[in-house]
Amino acid sequence: MLPGSAFDGEGFLRDMQAWTPAVAEQVAAAEGLTLTPAHWEVITLLRQYYRQFDSSPAMRPLVKWVRIHLGEDCGRSVYLLSLFPGSPAKLASKIAGLPKPDNCL
Amino acid sequence: MLHTLSCAPGHPAVKDCIALLRANDALLLLGDGVYIALQHSEDWLALQQSGASLHVLDADARAAGVRQRLAACFTVVDDDGFVSLTEQHAQQMAWY
Amino acid sequence: MSTTADSGVLVVTRHPQPGRSLARAALDTALATAAFDQPVTLLFLGAGVLQLLPQQDSASVGVRNLRKVIDSMPLYDLEHYYVDAEAAEHFGLTAEDLPSGAMLVDRDAQRSLFDNHQHILGF
Repeated sequence: MLPGSAFDGEGFLRDMQAWTPAVAEQVAAAEGLTLTPAHWEVITLLRQYYRQFDSSPAMRPLVKWVRIHLGEDCGRSVYLLSLFPGSPAKLASKIAGLPKPDNCL
Repeated sequence: MLHTLSCAPGHPAVKDCIALLRANDALLLLGDGVYIALQHSEDWLALQQSGASLHVLDADARAAGVRQRLAACFTVVDDDGFVSLTEQHAQQMAWY
Repeated sequence: MSTTADSGVLVVTRHPQPGRSLARAALDTALATAAFDQPVTLLFLGAGVLQLLPQQDSASVGVRNLRKVIDSMPLYDLEHYYVDAEAAEHFGLTAEDLPSGAMLVDRDAQRSLFDNHQHILGF
């Protein structure tokens, strides 16, 4: 468990290097989510996106990115909303240990 | 369209601005850009060749001490004149 | 008043990074506009073309690798963007250096871009 000081006021991890899968579980629990394999697929893709593009995606590129890698059924906002309710790009980035997306509401 | 240019002479944006200026455009020099209108600098020659209407903001020209040394092709405008220019041109590009 | 312009936004980015944050602001503006489904065109002008240099490694100076962010633009449905051909040549950027979405434009084509956009945001 990381202490509360490891996170900023909105719950985003301050130091990306401190992220582990256990941290993801901790953040998800704080958001009232239990991570399933479907969540992990998206979290893994998000971390890959960050490595490749040096940024966290807004909703639209996230949907497209998921569609490219997981196919049409998963690459839809309804699907992502079912996994990460509210604001999927923001919530999934938070759980994946990435900075808050710049171009995201 | 209206171009506002606020870089000092020699800044690379001055060259790019001049290259894209066209006859039906207006140019307004602001801030450090007012030095471009100095009669003796000859930087304004290329501006004049574009055929664009050329303006200098009065307050900035006075502040820089160039108000009495402007090349004749420039019209001096005050803040109201600046507003009029923005009304006459739907598009604006700021070079700074 | 000109009547030829359509309603799109033209973002003109003229500064290299990482010295100033303007390059980053221009890119964020373009991506945010695209993320909200608004038509946006991006023009790299003058020293702004230096943002396209490959092999940027900015981790140690704590700024984003802009080229990587630029490479994400197709995911924002920004498939193409315009690059000042004269500046690219001046700074020695070759076709292999440039991302696949880059389209080189000369001064005449740049003037047309200005003509065709109602809103111009210069960075």
